[in-house]
Amino acid sequence: MDKRTKQDSFDKEYNDSLNKLYRENAGLTGFRWFLDTAHRWAYSRDEHDVVILGTAVPEELVMAAGAEPFWFIGGSLGSIQWSDELVPRDTDPVSRSVLGYINRPGSNYHDPLFIVPLTNDSMRKTAYILKSEGRKICLVDIPPDRNDKYAAQKYAKQMKDMCSAVSAHTGVKVTRDSIISSMKRVSMARAVLRDFLDVSRGRTDIITDSARLFVQNSYYMTDSVDEWTYHVAELTREIGYYTARSVRTGKSRPRVMLCGSPVLFPNYKIPFLIRDVGLEIAGSVDHTAMKTQMIYKRKMLRGSRDRLIETISAQWLEYDSSPSYIRNDILYDNILTAVQSREIDGAVCHILKGQIEYDFELERIESMLSEYGIPVFRLETDYQYQDVEQLRIRMEAFSEMLVQIRVRRVKRVS
Amino acid sequence: MMIKKAETLRQRQDRRFINKETQTSAKYLRRLKELSGAPDGMEPFYDTLERIYVDMDYAKSGAYHHTVGTYCVMTPPELIYAAGAMPVKLCSGNYTAFSVGDDIAPRDACPLVKAVAGFKQTGLMPVYEDCSLMIVPITCDCKKKIAGMLSDRCEVVTLHIPAARNDEDIEEFTRQLYSLMERLENVTGNQITYESLSYAFRMVGYAQYELSEFIRLKKQMPYLIRGSHAMAILNAASYMTAGDWGKALHRVNESLKTRIDGRKTVTSKKLPRILLTGSPIVFPNVKIPLLIEENGGIVAGDETCMGERGMWDPAVITDNSFDGMMNALANRALRPCPCPTFADNSQRIYRIKQLIKENQIQGVIYHVLRGCLVYDFEYRRIEDELGKLGIPVIRLESDYNEEDIEQLRIRIEAFIELIKLKQEPEKITAVRKSF
Repeated sequence: MDKRTKQDSFDKEYNDSLNKLYRENAGLTGFRWFLDTAHRWAYSRDEHDVVILGTAVPEELVMAAGAEPFWFIGGSLGSIQWSDELVPRDTDPVSRSVLGYINRPGSNYHDPLFIVPLTNDSMRKTAYILKSEGRKICLVDIPPDRNDKYAAQKYAKQMKDMCSAVSAHTGVKVTRDSIISSMKRVSMARAVLRDFLDVSRGRTDIITDSARLFVQNSYYMTDSVDEWTYHVAELTREIGYYTARSVRTGKSRPRVMLCGSPVLFPNYKIPFLIRDVGLEIAGSVDHTAMKTQMIYKRKMLRGSRDRLIETISAQWLEYDSSPSYIRNDILYDNILTAVQSREIDGAVCHILKGQIEYDFELERIESMLSEYGIPVFRLETDYQYQDVEQLRIRMEAFSEMLVQIRVRRVKRVS
Repeated sequence: MMIKKAETLRQRQDRRFINKETQTSAKYLRRLKELSGAPDGMEPFYDTLERIYVDMDYAKSGAYHHTVGTYCVMTPPELIYAAGAMPVKLCSGNYTAFSVGDDIAPRDACPLVKAVAGFKQTGLMPVYEDCSLMIVPITCDCKKKIAGMLSDRCEVVTLHIPAARNDEDIEEFTRQLYSLMERLENVTGNQITYESLSYAFRMVGYAQYELSEFIRLKKQMPYLIRGSHAMAILNAASYMTAGDWGKALHRVNESLKTRIDGRKTVTSKKLPRILLTGSPIVFPNVKIPLLIEENGGIVAGDETCMGERGMWDPAVITDNSFDGMMNALANRALRPCPCPTFADNSQRIYRIKQLIKENQIQGVIYHVLRGCLVYDFEYRRIEDELGKLGIPVIRLESDYNEEDIEQLRIRIEAFIELIKLKQEPEKITAVRKSF
């Protein structure tokens, strides 16, 4: 494939997803800022001080060292074309996409510090590739066993080392005040996101499920966390306004929970498909959504600089549901909470090819959900669009099954 | 009535599993034995593999009342011996267990881990069932997840393998070894003392000395031993005590020395010398070395972690205290290890280049077990580096089954032919006795 064709396919994927999101949510004026942000991010060639790969690193510490974080979290089939020759066939699409973004023609990522959390094998070896290419990297080695009595200590040490590396790169000293300030900023962003998810839940007539996911994802595409926070708050207010003034329209659809590998923009074939087959996403349980639980309370903003880093580390170690751990108990617990607190008819477990860590957890999740009588649909895919029709057929069958279960339940009650 | 029927079904399944497992292992053992050129003294190694896989017996040796299962090369056997237990390496190459594990583990998990899951699921393999403790170093995603699965069925200790190998990482790993020591003491009821650890160092050191002698002899030109036989010896080390293994290897070394004196070699022909690297080759999955040697090549070097790398590096004690010994174990486990679990693994390239030079390697076979992503990632870099040296490399992807044997045979044959074409025509300089 030549350079132009690769760029065209990258553009097409972004534009298709953005256009569809716009068409479905054209009535929301506040939503347009997020579409613009994603578009700007996709074509940005700006230089950045610090680049974070994946979502498993506390951005508050990067911000405390004077850098506005710039993330590569994957999600694009178009970007995979630029990394195809660098990685083995079985590499997961997220890592491929991340590496593709870095190697995109015209990109200028030779100078920044790359922060690489070693959440899985692909990330570990991506770090090796980046280092071999002579780029500056900072590894974050996450302890795999949460039950290890030294896990908190190890994690805190990694965070302190990361702070030192970012600080040395930016030339800005990490102080107690700078950490408190960044903790407040991210807490505000997470609290606002949590409000947004609460207010918009179940109102697909006002904002679609894909758009909700997109707002969640757009955090990783913004140049300014504060600006993003402001716009999410504005959007929440707008949705709240419509919610208060209109009753829900449209038929009640079976509600599914989306769990497993995170669905990342622009590859929204799964949420689009879920809507197309007549289902509604009651909530997504993945490590991007679960950040909303990591809000620092006032009493946590006390103590010395090191104490604050330890507080952040402890919080992340407790709530991080990335695939870094032997047992992803937090993911399991969150699914359980979601099942108990929301009315859920089924679960769609999204497994990206190559992300075997999620696949290993599936058995546990399936047996837990079966206790609640919730059917689980394992949906394995990658970023290709060729399997959409096949997935549609399977998803339609799942949707019909959920409708039948609902009908039976209603009959039994009556 | 239904329960009785279900039990019968389970029993029948178990019997079929045992039959299939023992038949496959016996077949590969027979093929190893039939391969010409085996030195004298191979019996203890064959007997061990037969006892474990064909007779399905325990690995436990008389003096040791406990066995501790280990995975990967980072677990120091010295600590286990010092606690009065016997280490047994449980990385598996079994096709039958793999087919059982295939239903439990995700499709894209590596076959080695599927085979481990399969054995644990059936509960029929004595070496797995007999373990008082399993030590799982977290070297890859599959090992990380299998540790969780195994912990539901037996006592498991995990070792966090750091991504880098600087002084702080070594210090942290030493601390992990102290924690492991406590667990071992609890499990065995024996205290690890300065004396018991020193004794364990001496025992493992003796085995390593014999191995270094064996490797020296193996490098001899023309060849004194085939690579497949060497692999059988090294695989048997997983189920023998270091002392017994060292003694048995000593006999083989003596036999090889006699061959030098008698000018006896494996073959009088100049066979293409091949280095095997990549994912581990674990008995009975020895189809690749067997195919190489049955098709006219010789496995002159072995860089896999079940091969020479597994025991090659001795622990160097620079401080005679107990702490010094623990530190030596941590250093040995991490610093020289070319495992792709480390984010920066440039030293694997140096190690491969060193093996190529020392063994006069003409071609490299890069073995990738399906799903073993960490090794697959490093292939590209190694291919580039070896390309600069003019050494041909072939990537062989395989699984734990026999369906791909013919396809592998064709590719290996072609690779060997390619090397032969490059090779200078043979000159018969002296009459040599071959087997």
